[in-house]
Amino acid sequence: MKQRAAVASNQKTALARPGLSSFWAQYRRKPYGMVGLAMVIAYVLVAVFAPLLTPYDPQKDLYLADRLAAPAWAGAVMARFRGAPPTFKRNVGPGDWHVDEAKGGKLSSREVEGQRVAEIELTAASGDPEARLVLSHPLHYTYNPPQTFNARFEYSIDAPSDAVTQLQLEVVSPDGKRYNLWSSSVFGSSEKQEAKLDSRDLELKVRLGMTMFDDPATSIFSSRGDYQLVLTATSKAASGPSRIELGKLTFGVLGLLHGVLGADHMGGDLWAQLVYGARISLMIGLVAALISVAIGTSVGIISGYLGGAVDEFLMRLVDVLLAIPNLPILIILSAFLGKSVWNIVLLVAAFAWMGTARLVRSQTLSLRERVFVEAAKAAGASDAYIMITHILPNVLPLVFAAMVLRIPLAILMEASLSFLGLGDPRVATWGRMLHNARNFGAFTVLAWWWLVPPGLAITCLSLAFVFVGNTVNEILNPRYRERT
Amino acid sequence: MKPRDRASVTAQRGEAHLGFRTYLWRRLVYALIVLFVIVTFNFAIFRLMPGDATKMIIDPAFEPEAILELRRQFGLDEHPLVQYWKYITSLLRFDLGLSFGSRRPVVDELMERLPNTIVLFLVSFVMTASAGVAVGVYAASRRGTFADNLVTGSGLFAHAVPVFWIQLLLLMLFGYYVPILPIRGTISAPPPDGFFLALLDRVHHLILPAGSLTIIGFGSWALYTRNTMLEALGQDYIVTARAKGVPRRDILYRHALRSVLPPIVTLIFMSLPGAVSGAVITETIFSWHGVGRYLLDAVLQQDYPAAQGAFYLIALAVIISNLLADMAYGLVDPRIRVGAGERR
Repeated sequence: MKQRAAVASNQKTALARPGLSSFWAQYRRKPYGMVGLAMVIAYVLVAVFAPLLTPYDPQKDLYLADRLAAPAWAGAVMARFRGAPPTFKRNVGPGDWHVDEAKGGKLSSREVEGQRVAEIELTAASGDPEARLVLSHPLHYTYNPPQTFNARFEYSIDAPSDAVTQLQLEVVSPDGKRYNLWSSSVFGSSEKQEAKLDSRDLELKVRLGMTMFDDPATSIFSSRGDYQLVLTATSKAASGPSRIELGKLTFGVLGLLHGVLGADHMGGDLWAQLVYGARISLMIGLVAALISVAIGTSVGIISGYLGGAVDEFLMRLVDVLLAIPNLPILIILSAFLGKSVWNIVLLVAAFAWMGTARLVRSQTLSLRERVFVEAAKAAGASDAYIMITHILPNVLPLVFAAMVLRIPLAILMEASLSFLGLGDPRVATWGRMLHNARNFGAFTVLAWWWLVPPGLAITCLSLAFVFVGNTVNEILNPRYRERT
Repeated sequence: MKPRDRASVTAQRGEAHLGFRTYLWRRLVYALIVLFVIVTFNFAIFRLMPGDATKMIIDPAFEPEAILELRRQFGLDEHPLVQYWKYITSLLRFDLGLSFGSRRPVVDELMERLPNTIVLFLVSFVMTASAGVAVGVYAASRRGTFADNLVTGSGLFAHAVPVFWIQLLLLMLFGYYVPILPIRGTISAPPPDGFFLALLDRVHHLILPAGSLTIIGFGSWALYTRNTMLEALGQDYIVTARAKGVPRRDILYRHALRSVLPPIVTLIFMSLPGAVSGAVITETIFSWHGVGRYLLDAVLQQDYPAAQGAFYLIALAVIISNLLADMAYGLVDPRIRVGAGERR
C-alpha cells in the first residue's frame, strides 16, 4: 500500500516538476529571463569581489578626501571642477630635506625601531649661544586652491636642562610669502610628541591672523607653482648640544576630486559604499524572502491541509496583518527593536509572508483532494508526513517563484527604512547612501553622482529579480502566470 | 491587491454567495477586529518601548513626589489593565494625550496636519488615476506600437524603482539644478497676502510632491487599464460592433471603456491603503507639514504619545479605505451584488 502511494506521488511530482535540465532548456529560451539572470549574476559577482573593486572600506576609511568631493572624472568633464585638486599626501623622510642654513646645526639620519628618523644636532658656537638649522622641502602645487590641508610629524628633544629649543613649520608660497603654521618652544628635554595641524583649526587661523570664517587653505595655496615647506630648529643652550629626533613629516591636501564616485560628508568613499551595498542588499533580500516564504508556506500548507478552526484562525490572522499599514508599523517596530540589519530583515519578513500563505493554501486545498494524498492517508501516514512528503514538494514550484518575486520587495522595503534613517548605522546600504545624500548636503552642491548610482542599483537589481521570477513562474506555474 | 486577487480571496472565504448586505456586515466586523488589534498593539508596544515612556520628560533630578505626580498625570501609576481600558475609552473620544515634545494635545497637532495630508493625497490620487487610465486606454488602442511598449515598460519599471529615489532626483532637478519649484514645505513663510496669491503659493508647493507621485504611480494604472481594455476589445460584442461599422472611437470609449470601468473604479479604492501609508516617505522628502512626517519625527524623537496618535490615525485611514474597497468590490461583483454566486 505504502509503496503504491509512493509511486503515485512520484508520478505526480514528475508531472508537476520538470527535471532541472528540461527546466533550463525552457528557461534559456526566454530573453527576459536570461537578461534578469545575467544581471543577478553580475550583482553577485560585484558583491563577492567587492574588495577587488575598491581598496577602501565603506565604513572605516574616512577623510580620504574633502567632504562632498566630486568624482575624479568630473575634473575632466565638468567645467566647475577643472583643475580641482585630488587628494595628495607627501611623506617627507630624513633624506628628503634640503639643508638651507646650518648655523651650528647638523642633519643626520638613523634607524629607530625599524623606521628612519632624522636627527638634528644643534651645537652652539662659542660667543653666540644660538644654533640654528633650516630645512626645506619643495612642494610643487599645480591645482586650484584646496579647501583643507593638514600636516603631522613626531619629534622628541634631548637637551640640557637650561636649553630652550624651538621648532617651527612654515609654508613659503611661490611669491615668497611666509606662513607660520606651527611652532613650539621646549625647555630642556621632551618625550616623544606629535605635532598635528589642520587648516580648519581655529588655533591655526588665529596664528595666521585670520578670523574663524577665513579659509587658510584657500588663501595660502591661491596660486600654482613651487611652494616650500620650511622647518626651522633653533636652540639656545649654554651647556652642550641639543638633539632633536624628527620623525617622518606628512603633509596632505584633502582633494576636491576623489575616486570613481567622489566622497560623502565624512570623506568616505562612495564607490566603496556602492559596491559593498550590493552585498548587504542581496543578503537582506535573500534572507528576508527566504524567511517570509518559509513562514508563508508553512502557514499555507497547515491552513489548507488541516482546514477547520485552524484554517479559520490562520486566515483571519492573515487578513488582519494585511490590513495593518505596512510602512508605518515597520517604522515604529524598527525604532522599538533598535537599529540593526537583522532586526530589519526579521521585520520585513514578518510582514511579507501573507501573500505566499494564501497562494500556498489555495494550492494545498486542491492537492489534498488528489488520489495520492488519499492513498497515503489510507496507508496510515500521519498528517505531518503527508504535508511534508506529498504536499510540500508539489507546492515548491509555486513557492520558488514566489520567493524570487519577494526578493525585490524586501530590498525596496529595506532601502525605504534605511532612507528614513531607521537603518543600521554600522552598515553601508544603498538606502543609507540616499539618506546621507539627502541629509548631508548632496543637494546644495548638486552631487548627482551621489544620488543616482544607489537608486539605479536598487532599480536594476529589483528588475532583474522580477524578470527571473516572472520567467520561472511562466515555466513552472503556467496556470498562475500573470497576463501582460 | 488586484481585483482578480480579491475575487479569489472572496471565493476562498466562501463569501460569494452571501449577498451584498451580509457581505458588508462581515467586512465591517473584520474592520472592527483589525481596529481592535491595532489599538491593542498600539497600547502594548509603546509601553514596552525601552525605558519608561516618560523618561523623556521626567528629569531624574526631580523630587520623588514630583515624579509620582507626573506619573499620576500621565496615568502610569495604575494597573496596566486599567490603563488599557482608559486608553481605549479615550481613543473613542479622540483624546490622544499630550505630546512629549510640544506639550500640546496630540489630537490638535494631528488635526493641524491632516488637511495638508488629505490635500496632497487627493490631488496626487486624482492625477495618478486620470493620467493612468487615459494612457492605458491610449496604449490599448495602439497595441504593439512604441507607445504601447513604453506603457508596458513603465508599468514594470514602477514596480522596481524606489519611489523616494525618483522624488529625490526630481527635487534635485527642479529644486536645485533649475530652481523653479520650492524645495520644502507646504506654504511659503510668511505666506503671501491675499487669498488668490496664497492659493497659488500652495499650488506651487504642491507641484513637486503631487507631480512626483503621479509620475511614479501612473504606470501601473496604465498597465492595468491597458490589459483589461485589451481583454474587453477581444470580446465578441466588440467584434460585432466593428462588423456593424461602429466608428473606432465609439467602440473604444462607448463599448470597451464602459465595460472595464467598474474593475478600474475598484482598483482606485484598493490602492487607497498603500497610498495612505506611503505618505510617510513623500512628506518626509518634501518636508510636507503632514501626518506621515509627524509620525516619523515622533518615532525618531521618541515622542511616544505623538507616534501613537499618528499611527492610530493612519491605521484608521487605511481601515476605512479598505472598507471602501470592499464596498466598491461588492457593488461591482455581480455574484455578491445579487447573491447568486456558488460556493466553490
